[in-house]
Amino acid sequence: MAKLEAKNIVKYFEHDGQPLKALGGINFTVEDGDFVCLVGPSGCGKSTFLRIAAGLQKPDEGQILLDNRPITKTGPDRIMVFQEGALFPWLKVRDNVEFGLKIAGIPESERHEISDRYLDMMQLTKFANSYTYQLSTGMRQRVAIARALVMDPEILLMDEPFAALDAQTRDLLLVEMQMIWQKTKKTIIFVTHSISESTVLGNKVVVFTHRPSTIKKIVSIDHKRPRLAEDETLIPYQKEISLLLRPEVKAKENSE
Amino acid sequence: MKIKSLGKKIAFYVGIVLVWQALDVANVWPDNVFPSPYDVAEDLWYGAVDGTLWIGIGTSLWRLAAGFALAVVGGIALGIFMARVQTVNETIGSVVLGLQSIPSVAWAPLAIIWFGLTDAGIIFVTVAGALFAVTINTYTGVKSINPDFIAAAQNMGAKGEQLITKVLIPAAFPYLITGFKQGWAFGWRGVVGAELLFSFLGLGFLLNVGRQLSDVSQVIAMMIVIMVIGIVIDGLIFKRLEDKVMARWGLR
Repeated sequence: MAKLEAKNIVKYFEHDGQPLKALGGINFTVEDGDFVCLVGPSGCGKSTFLRIAAGLQKPDEGQILLDNRPITKTGPDRIMVFQEGALFPWLKVRDNVEFGLKIAGIPESERHEISDRYLDMMQLTKFANSYTYQLSTGMRQRVAIARALVMDPEILLMDEPFAALDAQTRDLLLVEMQMIWQKTKKTIIFVTHSISESTVLGNKVVVFTHRPSTIKKIVSIDHKRPRLAEDETLIPYQKEISLLLRPEVKAKENSE
Repeated sequence: MKIKSLGKKIAFYVGIVLVWQALDVANVWPDNVFPSPYDVAEDLWYGAVDGTLWIGIGTSLWRLAAGFALAVVGGIALGIFMARVQTVNETIGSVVLGLQSIPSVAWAPLAIIWFGLTDAGIIFVTVAGALFAVTINTYTGVKSINPDFIAAAQNMGAKGEQLITKVLIPAAFPYLITGFKQGWAFGWRGVVGAELLFSFLGLGFLLNVGRQLSDVSQVIAMMIVIMVIGIVIDGLIFKRLEDKVMARWGLR
């Protein structure tokens, strides 16, 4: 069943006073329970697409449907996880995780019950009363993921959440992310610039062209889980995506 | 370390009093121009015993507190409004910069015309002194908020009043403290300056009485009280608040 449908999404940027077409008509469908990774040359607008899906930006043309209803504004049914986490430094870890619940007016005891569950899932229980600056970058991204999961969103939108992590921490979180996905059965759209990350996580990898971006191909990866970054069985997929991206990256280099 | 720095401070102040006493003993200037530390201490003592000092301090502090509280509420509201609404910034924003350059006490004539020689007039001067420092720092603070903080909060459903109280104000708080520190200092100058002109209770009034009676030890005594209150408020309230917030954010 179609969870999210992108219909001819067009978005312009302002560049040196000139309008620059970043998204040139994006069409694809995300099924309920999909783990979709978006890859493409840098600057192709994949993060912009995610923000449009979150309702944080408006497309210039086209629309995105969530459960057949057009997205008009942002809301907690589509929770975004930001590259740098965007955790609030004035709140303790638990209060960060409970932020959206508090906004929704959920009473304290119930909030604690929910946050306890996700703090435990993300192995953050003993950091519940820490401030975010006391945590490592990896721990902070766990908090960001917990903060998103407590909202029980229809879709999780993740914008390069592991880009700033060291390789070991990232490999660990890649495995955990798959377990979370299997456990919660969430629909996830995950933007990454790492081809290997996309093949480990995604059951679909959506390859964007250079701007004005369209969808070049959607690669399906039906492979056992949990997959590891070093799985050799993923290499053919990585090669395929790499070959798809190469001319796009070249086009990007030539256009600058 | 802390004890050592405290020792230095004490030694410094003792040194000042000794030099002061020595100058008095040397009799460079007559006593009615340059009082001895003893004269000043005696003046403070009498003031404390007959209660005029406490009434003066209490009156000035109440005016400061009332004016500062109004300036904080108004300054935060105005600062957020300027930071979030482009038109407000382009119009009111430019005026605020100009208004901030007016010394607090320059509002006193207007206050006297509008409010007469009343508490309200002095509080008006205090608000006028403190308001724009709070406004400008709030504006800068809100403008400096990581846009992802606001996007994340809106994404989680925060809007309107919740966005302001749960995200904009706490996120801008390190800047707000700077605004408070500047604002109260301007406000305090406003209070004392206005009291000099209004001659209506308070420390500035006592200072003026000292001048009218040519009682130089009272003048100096009141100046010392005004300064000490400044040190105490800054050190006890604002420095602590700042340290606490900085520590919490991991900035220190």
